[in-house]
Amino acid sequence: MNRTVVIGGGADALVVAQLLAAAGREVLVIEGGNAPEAEGWVPPQVLRALKLQGLELHWPDPWISVPLPAGGKLELWRDMARSVESIRRVSARDAERWPQFCRRVARLARFLEALYAEPPPDPLSTGFAWRARRLGGRGLEDLLRILPMPVAELLDDWFENDALKGALGGAGVLHLLQGPRSGGTAFRLLHHHVGCAPGVFRAPRSNVLELLRRLPRVELQGAAVQRVAVKAGAVAGVVLNDGRELEASMVVSSADPRRSLLEFVEPGWLDPELIRAVRHVRRRGVTARLRVQLDRSPGFGALAIAPSLDYLERAYDDAKHGGVSRQPYVEARCDERHRLDVHIQYAPHGADCSKLGDTVLAMLSEHWGDAAPREGELLSPQELAHAEGWPEGQAHHAELALDQALWMRPLPELARYRTPIAGLWMCGPAMHPGAGVAGAAGYNCAREILRR
Amino acid sequence: MPKFDAIIIGGGHNGLVCAAYLARAGRKVLVLERRERVGGAAMTEEVFPGFRFSVFSYVVSLLRPEIIRDLELPRHGLHILPLESTITPLDNGDYLGQWNDHDQNRRELARHSLRDAEAYDEFGLMLHQMARAIKPLLGMAPPDPTSLSIANLSGMAELARHFRGLGDKRFHTLHKLLTMSSADFLDEWFENEALKATKSASGIIGTMLGPRSPGTAYVLLHHYMGELDGVFRAWGFAKGGNGSVSAAIASAAQAAGAEIRCNAAVAKVLISRGRAKGVVLENGDEIRAKLVVSGADPRRTFMQLVGEKHLPDEFVESIQRFRFRGSSAKVNLALGELPDFTCLPADGINGRAHLRGAFSISPSVAYLERAYDDAKYGEISRRPYMDIVIPSMLDPAMAPPGKHVMSIFVQYAPYHVNGGWTDARREALGDAVVDTLAQYAPNVKGAILHRQVVTPADIERIVGLTEGNIFQGELSLQQMFFLRPVPAWARYRTPLAGLYQCGAGTHPGGGVMGASGRNAARAILGAP
Repeated sequence: MNRTVVIGGGADALVVAQLLAAAGREVLVIEGGNAPEAEGWVPPQVLRALKLQGLELHWPDPWISVPLPAGGKLELWRDMARSVESIRRVSARDAERWPQFCRRVARLARFLEALYAEPPPDPLSTGFAWRARRLGGRGLEDLLRILPMPVAELLDDWFENDALKGALGGAGVLHLLQGPRSGGTAFRLLHHHVGCAPGVFRAPRSNVLELLRRLPRVELQGAAVQRVAVKAGAVAGVVLNDGRELEASMVVSSADPRRSLLEFVEPGWLDPELIRAVRHVRRRGVTARLRVQLDRSPGFGALAIAPSLDYLERAYDDAKHGGVSRQPYVEARCDERHRLDVHIQYAPHGADCSKLGDTVLAMLSEHWGDAAPREGELLSPQELAHAEGWPEGQAHHAELALDQALWMRPLPELARYRTPIAGLWMCGPAMHPGAGVAGAAGYNCAREILRR
Repeated sequence: MPKFDAIIIGGGHNGLVCAAYLARAGRKVLVLERRERVGGAAMTEEVFPGFRFSVFSYVVSLLRPEIIRDLELPRHGLHILPLESTITPLDNGDYLGQWNDHDQNRRELARHSLRDAEAYDEFGLMLHQMARAIKPLLGMAPPDPTSLSIANLSGMAELARHFRGLGDKRFHTLHKLLTMSSADFLDEWFENEALKATKSASGIIGTMLGPRSPGTAYVLLHHYMGELDGVFRAWGFAKGGNGSVSAAIASAAQAAGAEIRCNAAVAKVLISRGRAKGVVLENGDEIRAKLVVSGADPRRTFMQLVGEKHLPDEFVESIQRFRFRGSSAKVNLALGELPDFTCLPADGINGRAHLRGAFSISPSVAYLERAYDDAKYGEISRRPYMDIVIPSMLDPAMAPPGKHVMSIFVQYAPYHVNGGWTDARREALGDAVVDTLAQYAPNVKGAILHRQVVTPADIERIVGLTEGNIFQGELSLQQMFFLRPVPAWARYRTPLAGLYQCGAGTHPGGGVMGASGRNAARAILGAP
């Protein structure tokens, strides 16, 4: 039977499903229990391939507000000139440097954008070398130097104001069990800059999931996959939790690699070396999430409590030694219905988060003026693992670090979306380019599938 | 006509290596050393009567075998005595030993973890392969990836060919080593905490990073690239201390015709019309030469000896952001008796063989991270990581009969310590080291006859290494290979015609390797 089953209901899964259906395959999407959210930029290549219209990317404006120790807020806007004005109030020197910094790093983000909308490149190919060269001398230098850097060093090179550095440094460590003084975190700042205007360093939210779900041609089913049936080294179908068996000649999984390869597939089909390598893929969850309903507007669209790089680093220190940050890095976004969605870091997977909600509410209440919380709910990494399908609570499924990025993502053997089992493919956040770019892994995966 | 073809600023080991190679090629070379003796940080001094110390760098491993061969260093007095073991005392009173003898090592590891004992050989083979993969790069002037010149393009193509020749598997392992933290990398291989900690400690040496920070796995590999008499990964002790390494190189340079002048501090590089013409000494003497080669670190060379005004703005900016952040200190002890480690007493059963090796105070990765946590915020580690050797066990001439010298490498002691380095803080560091050591070898406290504490500020003051960084600049990925010390100027040349650099601030970096000095000489000799 020539059916393709796509596992998961996120943007990547839906994009793969649509592209395969458009190519004439019969496609069934098994959505699973969790309700994924689309966070991040959507590459134009994805929109074009699906002729998707009506996409709305949403950033709060200012995209981040940072409370200042002396009162007031540092506000960074989508409009460069307004940001410069706001920065000038805390540092004239930083205000002067801001536009140049933004231009320099935006150039690198454009380079990543191009790499993100295609399967990972071969780093040793002449083609890749020429592409990198097109960045120009200065751009190439910046790329080579900045990717492995600690984000703290990059920011210290440019800026002096702690609040500004804290707000940007946060982007370097989002969802990562590293502090801003750890190597490779500057790469993460660039990653979150992808798809954004110069001067904006947070991924947008979008309606891409709704748009994708509205497309015809693909059947969606809410069920959970128990395993992938393999016969003679090739995919034969999937077995659902309710015992139903669906025949299929191809399965594309957007679940994390450990789940896709070690849980869905019976042991024995894979080389023990690969199994060992899959087990070594790092996916340490570090995030808790708080949802709060306020009775009125808190007076900000997005607020970051990250007063300095040292503050972030100390928050990491606690997590490094296994505990929840005593003073966590907090980032809150508010929607038009006064619902706060609060990102809290660091809360290592398995650590005791019982007091974290109160700590964070107390921290936030200093900044939301007269607003009062009506109700709130804290999701620990364990709960996020369940609710979002994030293994160990890790949003990227496989930590996005330089040794697990691009042609190394999640492992070099799997980087081209193919697995050693014929007909079993992987998309999803664990695959290049990782979470925060909606649909790109799905698009790249479909291209690889259709190339054969 | 100038009297000299080349003046080398600084008689550290790299300056001497460079001088020796230039002299052997028939160039007339003058080495100018600020201090009363050559060697830079590779020197031996009788700090206390009868007690001789390798005050700063204290072991040898990375010195390139081709240099030992080309300069016939053994003929000039270099004699290396191997360190045979590393003992890590554990908090439970036991110890973890790593021995050069394969079977002994395997038995010892198996005592702690069968799995680790199994993995150890494969791990060793993998690192050996990685060291071999990197080796050809050590002797190469890094091509400039931003340049379109034929030489650079073919250099890049050759590099790509080299990496492709490794095969996918090794290339990917190398990628991991370059980008991972040493702790994560070792987690993939081993389970025993002390083993992981002791190995990952090689990844933090000379850096201001903890073992869990990406970038440290490469530093680990860097310390595995040693090769003594064809044996990879061997660490040894130079008979007579590390000063005898410098002395042997100096002797080879002089035999080839180089002139070495001590007590000759260079104040400025003489520059006229964008070209280095010689140097001015602090006493006002001018010495002219066709070329000037600086063995000083990049900041000292360009900010102090050359001066910003002679350099392009962008270059100055790059040099200013080159990071040093020294984090290592040394404590040198003169001992009235041998230390007695409670985990492995030197008695009739054990003998004293283990005292001929190194002791590593690195019981767990978390221990190292906590040591780093202190330093990150500007404090000295309350319980530091220490690498300890007793040179007088290998070379009795280092101490009076029956007495001993102990060399303790300490991390972290940040150069940028809160409140700055003072005498009181130096002693506090010495106390933290001795107290920590006494937890494992209680008799040490009573055995100390003299104590010398060398802080990063002392290293800077005495040897001239900026911020006391032992590698002349942090060995982090963003400061390596074609980025060392700054992009586009990694080929030992500088924006000033006639001025070259040959110190560890250039590729491939520090660790008494000599490769920078040799590569610089080759760049100079290859230059038209």
